[in-house]
Formats: sequence, C-alpha cells, structure tokens
Amino acid sequence: MLLTIVICFQWRIDEKPVKIDKWDGAAVKNSLDDAAKKVLLEKYGYAENFNLVDGRLLICTISCLFAIVALIWDFLHPFPESKPVLAICVISYPFMGNTMLLLFLSNNIFLVSVQKDPAGMDPDHTCQWLSNVFFLFYTLRVSFTDGKSKHSREQEITKSVGAFFDENGTLVMDQFEKCVSKLHDTLATEKKTK
Amino acid sequence: MSFQKTLTRRMLSLDFLDDVRRMNKRQLYYQVLNFGMIVSSALMIWKGLMVVTGSESPIVVVLSGSMEPAFHRGDLLFLTNRVEDPIRVGEIVVFRIEGREIPIVHRVLKIHEKENGDIKFLTKGDNNAVDDRGLYKQGQHWLEKKDVVGRARGFVPYIGIVTILMNDYPKFKYAVLFLLGLFVLVHRE
Repeated sequence: MLLTIVICFQWRIDEKPVKIDKWDGAAVKNSLDDAAKKVLLEKYGYAENFNLVDGRLLICTISCLFAIVALIWDFLHPFPESKPVLAICVISYPFMGNTMLLLFLSNNIFLVSVQKDPAGMDPDHTCQWLSNVFFLFYTLRVSFTDGKSKHSREQEITKSVGAFFDENGTLVMDQFEKCVSKLHDTLATEKKTK
Repeated sequence: MSFQKTLTRRMLSLDFLDDVRRMNKRQLYYQVLNFGMIVSSALMIWKGLMVVTGSESPIVVVLSGSMEPAFHRGDLLFLTNRVEDPIRVGEIVVFRIEGREIPIVHRVLKIHEKENGDIKFLTKGDNNAVDDRGLYKQGQHWLEKKDVVGRARGFVPYIGIVTILMNDYPKFKYAVLFLLGLFVLVHRE
C-alpha cells in the first residue's frame, strides 16, 4: 500500500491543466507566458537562448554573496573592526540591485528563441518574445532579428484575457495556441514578402 | 488497484505547490534566489544601520518597566554610538554588562572623566529605587565606554511588543518565519 502511494506521487505535472485565479494579473501573465513558451518550443521546435536569464541569476547570486561575506566577516571580526568591510558590502549591494533593476526593465521578455539555420552556414535568427498584461488584456509582442542582415521586425497581438480562460480560471490551451500560431505565422509571412 | 491509486493521489494532491511543480531548474533556482535576496536585503539594511549609527545594535526593545514613565515595556529605541559624542549625566544609555547578553536601558547618574577622555559612569533606572551597582559584575562599581551599546536618540512606542511576544513564545516565531519563507518560495513574484 505504501509502495503504491510512493509510486503514484509524481512531482512534475506537465500534463495537468493550468488553473489560476483569473483576477491575479501576475498569475495570468505567468501562465500565459509559460503556455506560449510551450507552444513555441514544442510545436515550432525553437531552442531557447538562456543568456538573459542566466545573466539575471548571476547578478542576483553575486549580490547574495556580498551579503553572506558581510555576515561572515562580521561574525569573525566583531563589530567595530568589521566596519570598513561592512560599509563596502552595504554600498555595493544596492548597485547590484540597481543593475538588476535596469535588466529587469526588460523583464517583459519571457523568452529568447533561436532558430538555427538548417544549412548550418548562416548565423542563427533570434526572436525576443515580450508580453504585458494591462487590465484584462494580454499583449504578446515578438521582435525578430535576422541573424545575417541584423534587420529586425516587430509584430504584436492583443487579446482579452477572457478569451483564454474559462470561468473557473482553467487555461484553454487550444485557443491560446491558435493565437500564438497566428502571431508567429504573421511574422513568418512578413519575412517572406520582404 | 486503480481506485486505490486515485484515492491516494487525491489525498496527496497539494494544489498550492502546482506552480512550483511546473518550474524548470532555472525557475526553481530563481525562487530560492528571490528568497535569498529578501533575506539579504534585510541583512544589508541592518548592517547599514550598524555602520551609519556606529552601534552594534541600532534598534532595541525596552524589556522592563525600569524606565517608566519615560519608556515602557515594548517601546522601540533608536540608538547611535558615535565616538565624537561624549556621554553626559542625564543621558539615557543602553549598555551591556560583561557576561550578560541582554542590554539594559538606564540613565547616567554620575561620571568620572579623565583628561584623555576615558570615563567611568554609574547608571540607574528612573523607576528603580537604587542605582545599578547591584546589577554590575561582582566587584565592578563603574561602567566604561566599552560597555555602551549606544545612546537613545529616538523611540517609537508599543511596536516592540511583537518582539517580546516572539521571544516569550519561540514556537510562534518559528511558525511565522516558516510560513513567510514558504510563501516566498512557492509564490511566483
């Protein structure tokens, strides 16, 4: 009996439908961003470029390290002697935080996707996907940069959040997938006509 | 067999963890980092106050009623400990007796001062009948500058009651901290 319990409990729940509180703006944005990522990475097979995210994580980690250094130094050399070291750590901590804030202004970028050139000759095309939730509207914007010509193009689509969630707050994946695909195809056709 | 499975699965479903269970490694690390950033910010503010005020404990809570009617149990005091400010009779100082952890908030009664600035001083709580010699270490009759944690510069009444409650009921403190920590770790910004 115990064994069955242990086997049944699965940590990852990728297949469970997403259910959120539809009045919580942040939860709406997060769930729609995740769903868009799923569509783009699984359906279209793009790869994700982690540079932006990794940069953010690194800076946060360094700030925390500064704090830990301050804590340990103060523990080893009790207060008055540790003053200069503490001062350095305390002053540099917000600088890290401010750099974070600047990077965070591009927080609306939730995915940087990379489209590898099938021939393997030209540099990759990158797309920056941004999203914004304002009142009950979700705006999805994509900024496509051609790897070779460094030209960039932008497309966006705005839809009411109510189009993707039912009354209980469960995400209707099909509707959202259609919306993301539409945006993606508009971008692709624009590419072809240019 | 399948009925047992569904029953156990329903019993073990922890819906509030759903967000976390969908996260990939980077997002999980970001949640932990978020928690770390909040703790670090609080720490940096505290250490910053220490550097600015020069005191090793810039904010203290009055624990006893020995300074009534000036300070009551539960008042929050803001301290500074600048080297340039001399200690004068009548000032309220917060000091720590050697060997004891808890600082005491009392008023300076008498001072002996040498030419080079070294002082020895005696303290007494406003609401106490006798001076603090009974509290000092065995054989110690005067306090010195090194015992001083800081001088009271400002106060906020009553707020410190929370700290007193947390100290009297440590289980309450741990429960609050645990719930706060859990909330930060599980919630996505």
